Amino acid sequence: MFGLIGHSTSFDDAKKKAMDLGYDHIAQGDLDVWCSAPPQLVEHVNIVSAIGKNIEGAYIDSCFVPEMLGRFKTARRKVLNAMELAQKKGINITALGGFTSIIFENFNLLQNKQVRNTTLEWERFTTGNTHTAWVICRQLELNAPLLGIDLKKARVAVVGATGDIGSAVCRWLSERTGVQELLLVARQQQPLIELQKSLGGGKILGLEDALPEADVVIWVASLPKTLEIDKAKLRKPCLMIDGGYPKNLDEKFNGSGVHVLKGGIVEFFTDIGWSMMELAAMEKPRREMFACFAEAMLLEFEGCHTNFSWGRNNITLEKMDFIGQASEKHGFSVIGLNPKLQAAIA
Amino acid sequence: DLEGRDGSLPDFTTEQYKDAYSRINAIVIEGEKEAHDNYVAIGTVIPEKADELKKLAIMELRHMKGFTACGKNLGVVADMEFAQRFFAPLHGNFQKALENGKITTCFLIQAILIEAFAISAYHVYIRVADPFAKKITEGVVKDEYLHLNYGQEWLKANLATCKDELIAANKENLPLINSMLDQVANDAQVLYMEKEELMEEFMIAYQDSLMEIGLDAREIARMALAAIA
Ligand SMILES: NC(=O)C1=CN([C@@H]2O[C@H](COP(=O)(O)OP(=O)(O)OC[C@H]3O[C@@H](n4cnc5c(N)ncnc54)[C@H](OP(=O)(O)O)[C@@H]3O)[C@@H](O)[C@H]2O)C=CC1
Ligand SMILES: [Fe+2]
Ligand SMILES: [Fe+2]
Repeated sequence: MFGLIGHSTSFDDAKKKAMDLGYDHIAQGDLDVWCSAPPQLVEHVNIVSAIGKNIEGAYIDSCFVPEMLGRFKTARRKVLNAMELAQKKGINITALGGFTSIIFENFNLLQNKQVRNTTLEWERFTTGNTHTAWVICRQLELNAPLLGIDLKKARVAVVGATGDIGSAVCRWLSERTGVQELLLVARQQQPLIELQKSLGGGKILGLEDALPEADVVIWVASLPKTLEIDKAKLRKPCLMIDGGYPKNLDEKFNGSGVHVLKGGIVEFFTDIGWSMMELAAMEKPRREMFACFAEAMLLEFEGCHTNFSWGRNNITLEKMDFIGQASEKHGFSVIGLNPKLQAAIA
Repeated sequence: DLEGRDGSLPDFTTEQYKDAYSRINAIVIEGEKEAHDNYVAIGTVIPEKADELKKLAIMELRHMKGFTACGKNLGVVADMEFAQRFFAPLHGNFQKALENGKITTCFLIQAILIEAFAISAYHVYIRVADPFAKKITEGVVKDEYLHLNYGQEWLKANLATCKDELIAANKENLPLINSMLDQVANDAQVLYMEKEELMEEFMIAYQDSLMEIGLDAREIARMALAAIA
């Protein structure tokens, strides 16, 4: 059995979701109530892959909302309690979705192996970042040419380049895709310098300087984007792959000629009988999902019960190949630009 | 920012700590004593289970002694009058149920609500207790799971006939647990035990046990959250 640990994109969303699911009491509670709410296993699902593999899964809502990010102890408890629930339910491989994996890493939860009378077994969990990184790279390779962007001549800015996903994307793009230049953006300089060294190239730039130069911008930074961007300074065409969480770039650039693609999202070849993705605001909620979630499914399809994506900076090209092949084999494809838009461009 | 530190331990020697401990410790001692009495009492209504229940009751007495030692170790005199007042409403409901032969309600109050309350509080306390108390509490919490489990099994076996009473008893008694938590929130805070965490731990233990008993997820959420939302 595979598991997905997810959460709502905002407190308001969470309340709406709880109401829809019939959890009226918690829906009406304030943030303090949510801080005390235990994780919920909200849905079981059965999935058959494109090659006929049959698996079962469960969706767990950690009851975390981004508004809790400032409350260190609360956020930590939400993640650990959801993981404990997944393990208690006997789930073999569970993806830590959304902020869950970031909280796990940044709050160093590895030292919290003991949750009450459960000793967490890390091999039962994956961040799903390998698949996410692979999907984002494929989205870039498939969609940039549709906008007339020639990757061999293109500058690609990676915002969050030193992160787990960002660094994997940089490695793939420099070794496999062969873009003209990588623009590396993050706040801390030292990791950027080390990344540049390991890549044997790439230009370190601040966000303000990188954006006007970029034909493609990949957003994989871990914090909610509150920044203001001057649309006029962006190149046209410009492909933006919004790999962040929540995905809110679309609204910012709507109608400005910049093309925003929901990054790290895959589509399954057939409908899945769950309702969770409706609440995750997917356009085709029966088929679309986060790539990190899909990774847990892929590992279950492959009978690969191990923490495939774990820690930081461990994503290799070989691992991306493995998960990418599994992804295609079992019936996933990456989300592309809106077909109407594609027709308009053609 | 996503930065954060891990909780350190309180200073167990301050007057403030001892003052708060005098009430928290008393509640725990009183709780264990009443648990003993309650299991013995349930045994009088189900004679064929009296022996098993007696065994649980004996464990509770051992817990009581352990926690009494914890207070002594810190040089604290437990405020037993406060503790009796604290438990009075729940105690009253238990006695009333007992007189009316409402075994389901008795099990819910003692073996589910009180045990889940104890388990959650002990889990939180273990993280911030002095070394002596920590060791004792770790031993106790294992026993409390056995007790919770005992109540679960009984309710599960009788669910077909006891569900309505269970839901009614929950509605009447769960709010009491919530107000008990409110009453000790400030003292617990002095011991570095946060209300938010106590509540969450309680909900987890309580929810798990309702799940074991055989209620479905929405029924449980509705029951469990009735207290806080
Ligand atoms: N399918 C999907 O859609 C998925 C999306 N994600 C999302 O991908 C993003 C990255 O995840 P992950 O790689 O695990 O995160 P990491 O924490 O490993 O990396 C975050 C990166 O962002 C940089 N960063 C953070 N804040 C800023 C800022 N204000 N300006 C510029 N750079 C910044 C960090 O560097 P520095 O601190 O030096 O600035 C670092 O390079 C997250 O938003 C996550 O939610 C994750 C999994 C699946
Ligand atoms: Fe006890
Ligand atoms: Fe007990």
